[in-house]
Amino acid sequence: MADEIEKKVYRGRIKVPYKHTAGAYVEKFITEIGKNNKIYGVKCPKCNKVNVPPKMICIECFEKMEEWVEIGNQGIVKGFTVITHSTPVMPLEPPFAYGIIRLDGADTDFVHIIKESDPEKLKIGMKVKAVFKENPRKRILDIEYFEPI
Amino acid sequence: MTKHDVAVVGIGQTKFRSKRRDVNIPEMIYEAVKMALDDAQLEPKEIDAIIIGNMDHFEGINFSELLCGIEAAPGYLKPVVKVATGGTTGSSLAICGYHNVASGIYDNVLVVGWEKLNEGGATTGIITAFDPVWERPSLAGALGPLALMAGMYSAKYGITAEQAAKVTVKNRSNAANNPFAHLQMPNITIDYVMSSQMIAYPLRLHDCCPQSEGACALIYANEQETKKITDNPAWFHAVETAHYYTFGTDDKMFDLPTATIASKKAYKKAGIKNPIKDLDVAEIYEPTSWSELSWTEGLGFCKPGEGGKLLDEGITQMSGELPVNPSGGVLSTNPIGATALVRVAEAAIQIMGRGEKRQVPDVEKALAMGFGGSLWTEIMILGKNPLR
Amino acid sequence: MSKNRKLKKDFFEIKWKTDLPYRYSIGKLAVKFFEELKANKKIMGSKCPKCEKVHFPPRAVCADCMVEMTIEDMVELPPKGTLEGFTVINYPFTDPSTGGIRPFPYGYALFKLDGADTYTMHFVNETDVNKMKIGQRVEAVFNEELIGDLTADIPYFRIIKEEN
Repeated sequence: MADEIEKKVYRGRIKVPYKHTAGAYVEKFITEIGKNNKIYGVKCPKCNKVNVPPKMICIECFEKMEEWVEIGNQGIVKGFTVITHSTPVMPLEPPFAYGIIRLDGADTDFVHIIKESDPEKLKIGMKVKAVFKENPRKRILDIEYFEPI
Repeated sequence: MTKHDVAVVGIGQTKFRSKRRDVNIPEMIYEAVKMALDDAQLEPKEIDAIIIGNMDHFEGINFSELLCGIEAAPGYLKPVVKVATGGTTGSSLAICGYHNVASGIYDNVLVVGWEKLNEGGATTGIITAFDPVWERPSLAGALGPLALMAGMYSAKYGITAEQAAKVTVKNRSNAANNPFAHLQMPNITIDYVMSSQMIAYPLRLHDCCPQSEGACALIYANEQETKKITDNPAWFHAVETAHYYTFGTDDKMFDLPTATIASKKAYKKAGIKNPIKDLDVAEIYEPTSWSELSWTEGLGFCKPGEGGKLLDEGITQMSGELPVNPSGGVLSTNPIGATALVRVAEAAIQIMGRGEKRQVPDVEKALAMGFGGSLWTEIMILGKNPLR
Repeated sequence: MSKNRKLKKDFFEIKWKTDLPYRYSIGKLAVKFFEELKANKKIMGSKCPKCEKVHFPPRAVCADCMVEMTIEDMVELPPKGTLEGFTVINYPFTDPSTGGIRPFPYGYALFKLDGADTYTMHFVNETDVNKMKIGQRVEAVFNEELIGDLTADIPYFRIIKEEN
């Protein structure tokens, strides 16, 4: 059977190197996380919503955001799931949890890893705190994970 | 006959460059979108629908709707549709936007084309657009087939490398008058082109278009909306598309049948009998200098094989009867997802009389062309007044 | 062109490389093509039952007629053809199948196999443009071992030197 399939397919690969420009907003966000262990958002001048991670344009108002606001390192879990299957592109070895986190002071949600792989121990509404990487590498994973408080 | 007349009422372009390291993708596109909205003096909320386009494999972000339609353009809770057709992406966008307004479905539409080419690589990306079994192993991006075409075209009609070099000289010195163009070379000479490195015989480095980063945005409106927005729009007279075979090499790429068929149909719709006399300016899509000579034949500006003669006679120069590419064309600026849309933008600029240093005098009818993918052609004809 | 090395450090770039595996279904006619190539060193095209146009590479539908071509419509083509266009690729680019730079310069040509009505492109083993001319005869060069892969089994075409 496997031979039959092999005859009918061509095994190809796509391997391309990329270099993405991050832009000034992302650069400041990641730098503050790495250097000062601080998380920042930006505030829309029209609707006053604080966006984390920061971006240049408020999606709802289409206004440029220039006011930076420091956000706490803690937040509430609004949703979560535990990953138990493995694929080549996972950031960590399973099992691990993903959470949608509303950081204190932010008006948008932040998706990141929660270091708790027992679904029984995770609850919507629970408090979590950011844990920063020892040696920052200028990546989003400079916040290594969030842990339950 | 269409339900509504469609006009270009707002234009935005970024200054095209090799690498825009100062902005990320949404920030770059926003520059063009903001410029178009300010030009039309429209609020973001007043846009009914957005058509966006780029070739995802160049940036490696395969769901660019999120970056372009929502963050860089006012697409939140609005219809946003992506169109991607290779080199013709920009003109397909222009035509798709036209269909949406001409049919009466939307009163106005924002059309955005963009590319941040140097985040991946043009040749590498183009190879992934082709068949993995038959074409990818030998294909060298777009330049390979274009080089084959130039050689065959030259052998059949006796077009010389010098005639091709003249195209680059014409276009890149025209680009010096265009503040948005990427490669502006006011003092370029034929020697400079002909002494550049041979990258794929007979294409030399300066016979080929650059890889640029940037975005272009246009706002279209129907006749009622246009009256409220501006008294100097550019009206669409005709749009035509013609596609071709599956494999890029199923045919020879010059004597382009798609250009001939699409342009004949478009000319008929727009009432053009003799392109040289009835058109005042043309923005055509020339990925290489040799291509411009061949496409002028396909568009009916001259007989097959006489593209070189047409150029030698000066008819397509800025001072000639039908200036071709006063903006500098694709040889000067090539952000693939936006390139064909820039042709429409520049044609509209010429009609509106906003070309400043690159303005051709008394433009009543302009032609914009897109070329790409598997040899397909798209033609758009614009005019100073509505057709009917 | 990195004229300003200092500028590179000022801007934040995120670098990454994809490495995605694919299994493309090649279709019934291509399966037959590679079977015949591997077993019998045969090159096959497909002929439209309506307009009789012979397509190489073989494909399932004739674009001009919108008529289906099946395995029964496949015809054998000789491994010889005529050179219709040629070039020598002489610039570096990343090959997306390997992630590395494809070796260059390499000869790349367009030719019509005898009996085919579409053009075909493939490697040609000549990197001197002065030795190539439109109209020359070319023939496929087969690898010793045939495994059912186009470039592995027919690595290139060669120009048949004319007897003077």
